[in-house]
Amino acid sequence: MNADKVLDAKGLACPMPIVRTKKAIEELESGQILEVQTTDKGSQKDMTGWANSTGHQLVDSKAEEGTYTFWIKKK
Amino acid sequence: MATKVAIIAANGGMFDAYKVFNIATAAAASDAEVGIFFTFEGLNLIHKQAHHQLPMPAGAEHFAEGFQKANVPSIPELVSMAQELGVKIIACQMTMDVMNLKEEDFIDGIEVGGAATFIDFAKDANISLSF
Repeated sequence: MNADKVLDAKGLACPMPIVRTKKAIEELESGQILEVQTTDKGSQKDMTGWANSTGHQLVDSKAEEGTYTFWIKKK
Repeated sequence: MATKVAIIAANGGMFDAYKVFNIATAAAASDAEVGIFFTFEGLNLIHKQAHHQLPMPAGAEHFAEGFQKANVPSIPELVSMAQELGVKIIACQMTMDVMNLKEEDFIDGIEVGGAATFIDFAKDANISLSF
């Protein structure tokens, strides 16, 4: 999926992936896509929860070789 | 309605600090309005010097390595992150008087207030937590 911005949050522990994601999405325009890469296992569920809380849309995600990638569409 | 989170921090150890600031920053990063009332030992968590060297619980010192391995942010980092995200920090006036502490003994950007200040903030909170 094509992203307008990529955030490398690999190696960061909770709650930093969420904090960085919030900051990164602020730099985008409505409808643009943010790609977030993490290695924190908790971020799989956290990113879904964060999207529910904030109203941004988790469009897609994948997990491979210990890295999680999320695509989030700014509301 | 926007989410509002009211937290009481009443304990002063390193684990207490992580519980308080992880929840607070996660909530603020999720667009919630967050306020924390620091009272009694909880004041350690925002004390200029003390928050850099908070004690681990007795018998838990061996977890220090785990914190490093997990690449967990330091407490001072979490505190400034919380402030950057707009978390309101209220220090308890009464405890400060009892412990002879002044506003300048604490990190910048805090408010000092009494129990009623916190209650006024918390009265329409939809999440209330105490650590």
